Amino acid sequence: MSDLESNVEVVAKAAVMNQLPADGSGVRAESPLFHAELEVLAKQGPQQGGVHLRENKLQGHLTLRCNQNNPDQLAAVETVLGLALPIQPLTAVVKGDISIRWMSPDEWLIVVPGEQTFDIESCFRDVMTGHYSLVNGSGGQTIIELWGPDVVSLLKKCTPIDFHPTQFPVGKVVSSIFAKSGAVISRTGEDRFELVIRRSFADYLWLWLQDASREYGLVIEV
Amino acid sequence: MSQKNRLGTGGRIDRTTPLKFQYNGKTYTGFQGDTLASAILANGIDVVGRSFKYSRPRGVVAAGAEEPNAVLQLGATEETQVPNVRATQQELFDGLTSQAVNGWPNVDNDMMSWVGKLGGKMMPPGFYYKTFMYPKSLWDTYESMIRKAAGLGRSPLENDPDTYDKVNQHCDVLVVGAGPAGLAAALTAARSGARVILADEQSEFGGSLLSSKELLDGKPATSWVKSAVDELAGCADVLLLPRATVNGYHDHNFLTIHERLTDHLADKAPVGMVRQRLHRVRAKWVVLATGAHERPLVFSNNDVPGCMIASAVSTYINRYGVVPGSELVLMTTNDYGYQAALDWHDAQRKVVAIVDTRQNPQGARVEQARKRGLNVITGSAVIEVQGSKRVSGVSVATIDAAGNKVTGAVNRLNADTVASSGGWSPVIHLSSHTGSRPVWDDKVVGFVPGPTVQKQLTAGGINGKYSINEALSEGVLAGLNALAKLDLPATEVVLPSAADMVEEASMTLFQIPHLLPTSKAPKQFVDYQTDVTAAGIEVACREGFESIEHVKRYTAMGFGTDQGKLGNINGMAVAAKALNKTIPETGTTIFRPNYTPVTFGAMVGRDCGELFDPKRYTAMHKWHVEHGAKFEDVGQWKRGWYYPKPGESMQECLDRECKATRDSVGILDASTLGKIDIQGADAREFLGRIYTNAWAKLAVGKCRYGLMCGEDGMVFDDGVTSCLGDNHFLMTTTTGGAPRVLEWLELWHQTEWPELDVYFNTVTDHWSTLTISGPNSRKLLSELTDFDLSNENFSFMDVHQCTVAGVPARVFRISFTGELSYEINVQANYGMHVWEKLFEHGKQFNLTPYGTETMHVLRAEKGFIIAGQDTDGSVHPHDLGMSWCVSDQKPFSYVGKRGMARQDCMRENRKQLVGLKTKEPKVVIPEGSQAVFDPNEPIPMTMVGHITSSYYSANLGHSIAMGVIKGGLSRMGETVYYPQADGRVIEAEICSLVFLDPKGERQNV
Repeated sequence: MSDLESNVEVVAKAAVMNQLPADGSGVRAESPLFHAELEVLAKQGPQQGGVHLRENKLQGHLTLRCNQNNPDQLAAVETVLGLALPIQPLTAVVKGDISIRWMSPDEWLIVVPGEQTFDIESCFRDVMTGHYSLVNGSGGQTIIELWGPDVVSLLKKCTPIDFHPTQFPVGKVVSSIFAKSGAVISRTGEDRFELVIRRSFADYLWLWLQDASREYGLVIEV
Repeated sequence: MSQKNRLGTGGRIDRTTPLKFQYNGKTYTGFQGDTLASAILANGIDVVGRSFKYSRPRGVVAAGAEEPNAVLQLGATEETQVPNVRATQQELFDGLTSQAVNGWPNVDNDMMSWVGKLGGKMMPPGFYYKTFMYPKSLWDTYESMIRKAAGLGRSPLENDPDTYDKVNQHCDVLVVGAGPAGLAAALTAARSGARVILADEQSEFGGSLLSSKELLDGKPATSWVKSAVDELAGCADVLLLPRATVNGYHDHNFLTIHERLTDHLADKAPVGMVRQRLHRVRAKWVVLATGAHERPLVFSNNDVPGCMIASAVSTYINRYGVVPGSELVLMTTNDYGYQAALDWHDAQRKVVAIVDTRQNPQGARVEQARKRGLNVITGSAVIEVQGSKRVSGVSVATIDAAGNKVTGAVNRLNADTVASSGGWSPVIHLSSHTGSRPVWDDKVVGFVPGPTVQKQLTAGGINGKYSINEALSEGVLAGLNALAKLDLPATEVVLPSAADMVEEASMTLFQIPHLLPTSKAPKQFVDYQTDVTAAGIEVACREGFESIEHVKRYTAMGFGTDQGKLGNINGMAVAAKALNKTIPETGTTIFRPNYTPVTFGAMVGRDCGELFDPKRYTAMHKWHVEHGAKFEDVGQWKRGWYYPKPGESMQECLDRECKATRDSVGILDASTLGKIDIQGADAREFLGRIYTNAWAKLAVGKCRYGLMCGEDGMVFDDGVTSCLGDNHFLMTTTTGGAPRVLEWLELWHQTEWPELDVYFNTVTDHWSTLTISGPNSRKLLSELTDFDLSNENFSFMDVHQCTVAGVPARVFRISFTGELSYEINVQANYGMHVWEKLFEHGKQFNLTPYGTETMHVLRAEKGFIIAGQDTDGSVHPHDLGMSWCVSDQKPFSYVGKRGMARQDCMRENRKQLVGLKTKEPKVVIPEGSQAVFDPNEPIPMTMVGHITSSYYSANLGHSIAMGVIKGGLSRMGETVYYPQADGRVIEAEICSLVFLDPKGERQNV
């Protein structure tokens, strides 16, 4: 860990740090929904219902801001991730365990396996040129997967977005209000969605989702 | 006397399913399929309420949303009380409990009715304005009496046990109303694959067809309704919403639908079910097929129970198998009105007479009546009704062809029911919600929708097209029009047809003349719910109210919960006549949302109780809860406020927390502070422009405090920003200011300085910030890290990366307490782990958690400001004595520089922030207290400033305060006074803001 314990002065342009405890350190990670005890609910709660929920926790969340008209940057992203930045607004791409969500014309959310975050971040710093920013936000948000026959009915209670397949096909992503908070909503299957939500709002949204799904039955999975 | 008015057969009710219900404490029986109103009428109940102003007995008049009288209080228990329910729209269920709302002490024996008997002279229009406005101080007394007498229903005193929610919908075509026109429009659109929502306020689709005896292609109309509904139900993209009233038509084709999912099942929603749902619909196109309401005629005593609109009589007979009386007199201005008498006669009850105001009617229905041998009296009118709690008879007289005066002798007829039809008023409410002004149509004798301002189409009755065939074909046309606008190909729809009936023109007549002038004749009611009479409207016109809008406000016409659905057009006609104008010259009638009342439950949805507003938590929140923290709301964040031990008062707790921090070490969860990651080659330049101080020379690994001002030069946020790399900074903001500051940065970057290469990202939630503060904080931290924490290696205002309790951290040596402090930032997933480790190792140092209150005291001891508490948008950095934090040497300008240079910002004697020390050391000046220089000055005293922060400091043993004083910075040592509301005057000395450790040695150790 000695290379980590350095003054930030040694980092030239931007400070990049491995933010994960070393393997075997025994440090407990608490995801934003840690206190909801989803593992217990998955075992003891209902096993059938119209909506299924799972927290896809402790992933690496990297926000990339760069210029989509800069071919060098686009090429660099592909080099690092093996996946091209989705330039088409409101779309997301997935390859293996890496996904990229279009957030705005100069902003993308890259989700990678948690333990790869630092390597990928470092790799970006080596390969990317020009003006860009890359920010690790892994601790600040989590992903909620929702699926089941009533998932669209549930979502219609939460956000004004139109989820008709012609308007919101698989692969679409939007950032919108969700209840009185917000979420990045993407469709990963006909009856399958992912929400990226902020840590501090996670408890509120967890309460909200439990409440809104009551009439359909909520099944927790891990 | 069980259901004496119920027919043995017929109607859409299920006689095998009897339902018990209560009305005014008595139990009655109705059938599945009844409305509360049809069940009330079936049981021969005449009086359903007392009128608003005159306390006259009132009965059911209509059969739908337009009902003005049968507005009841529902609910079997306190928690399920619902006011304002129209009995005509409430489906009957077993155990329904209802109550008339007005009538004191009860509807049959009303103590207020003397007012009604004494009549118009006692309560002329404008009565309330004229009588109760003076003296103003008594209005509260008057109001409660008027409310009790008027009986407007009441809200429950206990929490509603039911769940209500909201849902967002989108569609190509929203069809409002599922009568013939709406069904045809929906079918046309749905067959072409459009996304359709069909909503209707009734329990089943069909509208007027449900109570019609007309045949479609030789079959009952309801069989076509069934096939149409079945087909729609089979379409994937069609949403059918019965029991759903489209109540509001808002901008951008946004409409709200109030759906009642369980109101027809029980007093309380069955377990697991939502009671009511508000649909928020964004429709590409809207087809209004809302139909029309029949207009009653205005004649003397036309409000006596037993007076009804003609179509309602037909509906009760045909749909509910209820004949609401024994002997009918029908008065009509048109052919269609005859249907009520035909239906009555066919139900084997006596039609006393059909009184037609027209001289020589010969239409198809007229001939049908004659063929049945009914007594048709032409060129005549019912000029007055006898009876009080029920019609006992009518006075019929001939009238002239224009309907202006009585021309012949008066005949008395015995009858217990008077049905009247003055024609139909299109239901233009939703159209007028959009701002479209309705247009008077002489042929329709009513207002029809004016030029539309939205993506709106109309079909059927709303356009004054009342025959089934016209309604069906208008519906198809609207559907086709919508498809064309949507660029969808149309599929053919073959319509059934009804037999054409010869219908003659109706007579344009609203108010029936009486032998006496209107002002002297027995009351002729225009608006039942607000007790507005024709005479009242005449008075209003005589008193100079010429615009219908003014007449309405003066008389209260249309101001009831029914929005004057029955009365508005009649009222306009009476006003027009009094003013010698035409109706369109008098004005138009427009409506506002909502079409019928919407419950608060539906409006609130799930945004109540725990879900009322998001509560934001830090990663260590559970620890705070478990350790007895009291919480303070900071924006939506729940921040630990203080951590009392059992039996400890708040002040004792604060004293302990403050002392522990200064004596040893305290810990604060500072995770809620806003954090913004700033990257880019121009990040430093950008900071220089947005902050008041200089940033050009801040070295990597160093932190600096910054002040942020608006263009006006006034402080709006502050915080520490650290340089993590040449092109990389981390800005902190106040907890409440975080989103505002991020928007502020983006605003200036995007609109003013897009040429600067810089990006901003919020990382507030990403980092947990654990602040340890106090002389032992270094010792504590050294237990958890191998990093060299010596003052030489890790000095004040440094930031370093190191591992704390096994977790990589960014540690900032910055201080808001003036003590040696470390702000430990770790990824929030590990915040709790590090927090707990700190406590494990902190025991030996009496590590004490403290909350926002102790934080406030500790920083005040050092004179550190809190933006938003010590500043209020009128304070610039110099006012705060923080000129050291303003650099006018920067090559580029900065936000607020010009503002601070304004004449008013430069003048002498501005209010400036200073410290204040009370003469009595234990007295704490209340925050907000106003300062005066001369305590003996008579009121109004010259106020020279106020207290912004004030605490008792246990560390100093006396109270401390911060406050603004005019010219305060040059008044050090002077005395100011703070007069209190209780008469005390607190004396204080102006002093430096820094009460403790003026040289700042403690944080530099």
